[in-house]
Amino acid sequence: MRSIRLFLYGVPAALILLLITAFVNASFLSLAKKNEMSIGTIGEPSTLNPIQQADSASGQVAGFMFNGLLKYNQNLEVVGDLAATWDLSQETTFHFANASDANNAKSVLESLLPNYPSWPITGIKTVTNDLLITLSEPGLVDSQEISTHIYYSGCNPLPFPALEKGDKERPFKAEPIIRFTLRKDVRWHDGAPFTSADVAFTYHAIMDERVASPSSSDFELVSSLETHDPYSVVVRYKKPFSPALLSWMQSILPAHLLEKVEPAKWAEIYNRHPVGTGPFKFGNWKTNEYIRLVKNSDYFRGSPWLDSVVFRVLPDPLTLQLAFQTKQVDFWAVDPWAVQGVENDKRFDLFSSAGNMYNYIGWNLERPMFQDLRVRKALAEAVNIPQMIKYILYGRGVQSTGIFTPKMWFFDPKVEPLPYNPKAAATLLDEAGWKIGPDGIRMKDGKRLSFTLLANNGNDVRRDIATLVQDDLRKIGVEVKVEIYEWSVLLKRFVNKGEFDAIVLGWGLGNDYDQYAIWHSSKTHPEELNFVHYKNPEVDHLLTDLRQEYSRPEILKLTAKLQQTIYADQPYIFLFVPEGTSVMWKNSYRIRRPGSKPGEWIDSPVTMTKAGWNYDMEWFYRPEYPPGGKR
Amino acid sequence: MISFIIRRLALSVVLLFIISIISFFIVTLTPGSPYPWGELNPKISAEVKANFRKKFHLDRPLHEQYAFIMRDLFTGSLRSIKDDRPVISRILERLPATVALNLTSIVISLAFGTLLGVTAARYSGHWQDAVGSFIAFLFIALPGFWITYVVVIALVKGFGVPILGTHSYGIDFPNALASGLDTLWHLLLPATILALGGIASQSRYLRATMIESLREDYIRTARSKGLSEDFILYKHALRNSIRPIIAGIGMVLPALIGGAVVIETIFAYPGMGRLGYEAVLERDYPMLVALNFVVAALVLLGNLISDLLSAAVDPRVRLE
Repeated sequence: MRSIRLFLYGVPAALILLLITAFVNASFLSLAKKNEMSIGTIGEPSTLNPIQQADSASGQVAGFMFNGLLKYNQNLEVVGDLAATWDLSQETTFHFANASDANNAKSVLESLLPNYPSWPITGIKTVTNDLLITLSEPGLVDSQEISTHIYYSGCNPLPFPALEKGDKERPFKAEPIIRFTLRKDVRWHDGAPFTSADVAFTYHAIMDERVASPSSSDFELVSSLETHDPYSVVVRYKKPFSPALLSWMQSILPAHLLEKVEPAKWAEIYNRHPVGTGPFKFGNWKTNEYIRLVKNSDYFRGSPWLDSVVFRVLPDPLTLQLAFQTKQVDFWAVDPWAVQGVENDKRFDLFSSAGNMYNYIGWNLERPMFQDLRVRKALAEAVNIPQMIKYILYGRGVQSTGIFTPKMWFFDPKVEPLPYNPKAAATLLDEAGWKIGPDGIRMKDGKRLSFTLLANNGNDVRRDIATLVQDDLRKIGVEVKVEIYEWSVLLKRFVNKGEFDAIVLGWGLGNDYDQYAIWHSSKTHPEELNFVHYKNPEVDHLLTDLRQEYSRPEILKLTAKLQQTIYADQPYIFLFVPEGTSVMWKNSYRIRRPGSKPGEWIDSPVTMTKAGWNYDMEWFYRPEYPPGGKR
Repeated sequence: MISFIIRRLALSVVLLFIISIISFFIVTLTPGSPYPWGELNPKISAEVKANFRKKFHLDRPLHEQYAFIMRDLFTGSLRSIKDDRPVISRILERLPATVALNLTSIVISLAFGTLLGVTAARYSGHWQDAVGSFIAFLFIALPGFWITYVVVIALVKGFGVPILGTHSYGIDFPNALASGLDTLWHLLLPATILALGGIASQSRYLRATMIESLREDYIRTARSKGLSEDFILYKHALRNSIRPIIAGIGMVLPALIGGAVVIETIFAYPGMGRLGYEAVLERDYPMLVALNFVVAALVLLGNLISDLLSAAVDPRVRLE
């Protein structure tokens, strides 16, 4: 009996004692400030192999360990990373019935050259029946001009068949070429030198079906990739496609480790402990707890100042906040509603900027009522977007003015947002023939101006948008029924089939001006992204031209026109661009990054750049561990 | 006895087969897809999607997919769609932390549940019982996540104690004892919170059976013999009341690896619950089918064990 009693009271007592001891122990442990950066992430990375990853958690971690051939600088201009230099050119080929025709055309062209100094021609030669012209700038405009002149001089080049559906048949073939000269001072984390073989291997791996790389569509237009020596890579494209340049920001994989291994085995031998070229090397990974990276002292730009970077997986947003407040993680991405609480707090440094994402309401343009621009414009004017920003985002956002967001370098700031004007909206609807009916809802030809607005479950912002839109439109006599579905149901039953009236969604896009997939009239099939069925021939042209344009000023002209045209058409109500805010403890980090000249270092506090506050994060340092101090 | 076990095992195999079919179809017929890049991604071409589907056999008819998954499950080569690693190693790497958490939690809820139940029964009708009942109902009624948040916020804001993960980060431990206690703290805290509901229901359950037992004739006999109240309570009543708990111990087996999604998520604890939860969100079909299969197998095994135990403890039960 005594033993039962002992057991009954003893075990709980022992447990309580143990809990108290452990608690006391934990509360007396003091934080030892290591020279380590701690970053909290909500999601667990799926793989650290940069050509197989598609989630942002994986990309963030891999970003510290890998380099691409190119990268953005802090002003979002493209600069070399693993590539020391690169240049663009184009080979334009005219094909003739025989060699004498080709020679004939060559002499015609040579005689024309003095009159057209603007043509960027750097070489003319004939190879059997072909006339090959090398241009220093890729694109179609100059080649078309040359083609016209050759034609009118009596030479008859034979047409090339169109490459794919939607392309034109042309009298010439234009093949852009990118030549990369690689840095010679780069070594993999295991000491092996980085060479052009790695670039070639990465390209072939991305195109390998067994790898199932989500990046493969970026490289589809590559016709050949040649490596003439260990430090040069020549990439030839089937046709002009300027966004292709950005695809060389793709991280490069080590050929010497993966070449001889079947892709199915990569998960075991590489993806969870990769070898890269970047400023940090892989340390260890405890699944669902943390990934630790350690500094690469041999980094080609110089050793980073931090000893290590640890990514802690903290799946709960509140926990992440607590972890930040107890200095267990160094940064915290604050929700809009919580910004006020930290904004004026002297203990923190705040970094805010409009993000790359905008929210919108998409109209199904196959529905007759939305085909009238006056109706779409009226609906947009009747929605009080500033009020939405105030109540949904707590003022942390700006009204969207079209398909690009202010952060992007090709955004056109001159586009004026549509003002909130319910009176003008009512007049427009009257003009369009929608008159107030007996129940207060507008009618035309016996049809009520009533539609269903869809949103997805679990996204509070979109649910709130739907509610406010319903309220605003009711005021001008439009009935909105809101239905909320689980995300995958929403896509499967409504979006992919094009069976909806209106839908609340958002696009979060990177710094790529190519939005062909979203706006081109050929992309309206089931599961394609122009699910609102927007069709505008002018926009189709702009989208195609943009893809073929390589010059930055020309791109800016085209994107401005594109943004203006689509905004004027109002296929969506472009709602707002939420602002993102990140916080760190005041002055807990500074940055010392390499300057443009060799040996130059620029020291500054962490500040917002066009590329974000955390650009060049690998060069962050803690003031208590100053660079050049005891290391 | 032996023939009973053999028959039960044969039945279990059939049941497992049926369960695997049902779980496979529930999982795959749910809307959604396992694409790692999200559904509406302008960067992803149709070819990339097709390639991905091919790699994981998602382009095949459902019954073939089922056959592939089952074949790979039994040859141990079934791979998770998320990271292309064998599901078995993903499950095994969670096992130690999960078993530690659940075992600790079960011990805590049994220890405190029994104590509270016995005390409540002993003082049935007195204030001690009222207070005990109030606390028990409070813990049953309050949502687990709420209690967890309150405790977490209080500990972190009030004391600045690290609580996340399986041990503290960024700390130089003075000695092995401090480090060990730290790990214990990171285990005991979530286990205690996880056990709260169990303590409450356990104590109510025991209180009810104890009160019933205390009304039995043999208790009156014992009292009339002049035995001490403690002796009656612990030796007679408790022994007879605790039998259903022993019989139910078979259910401990699946509970050991079962997940506690909410608590694991809040404490960032790397357990089985998050594995399953994340697999659902990612539509990681192979992972889900494998997890369902393992849990179903353990439930069946646990049932068998509890039947055997009941037979061993209670002479009225016969195994046919």
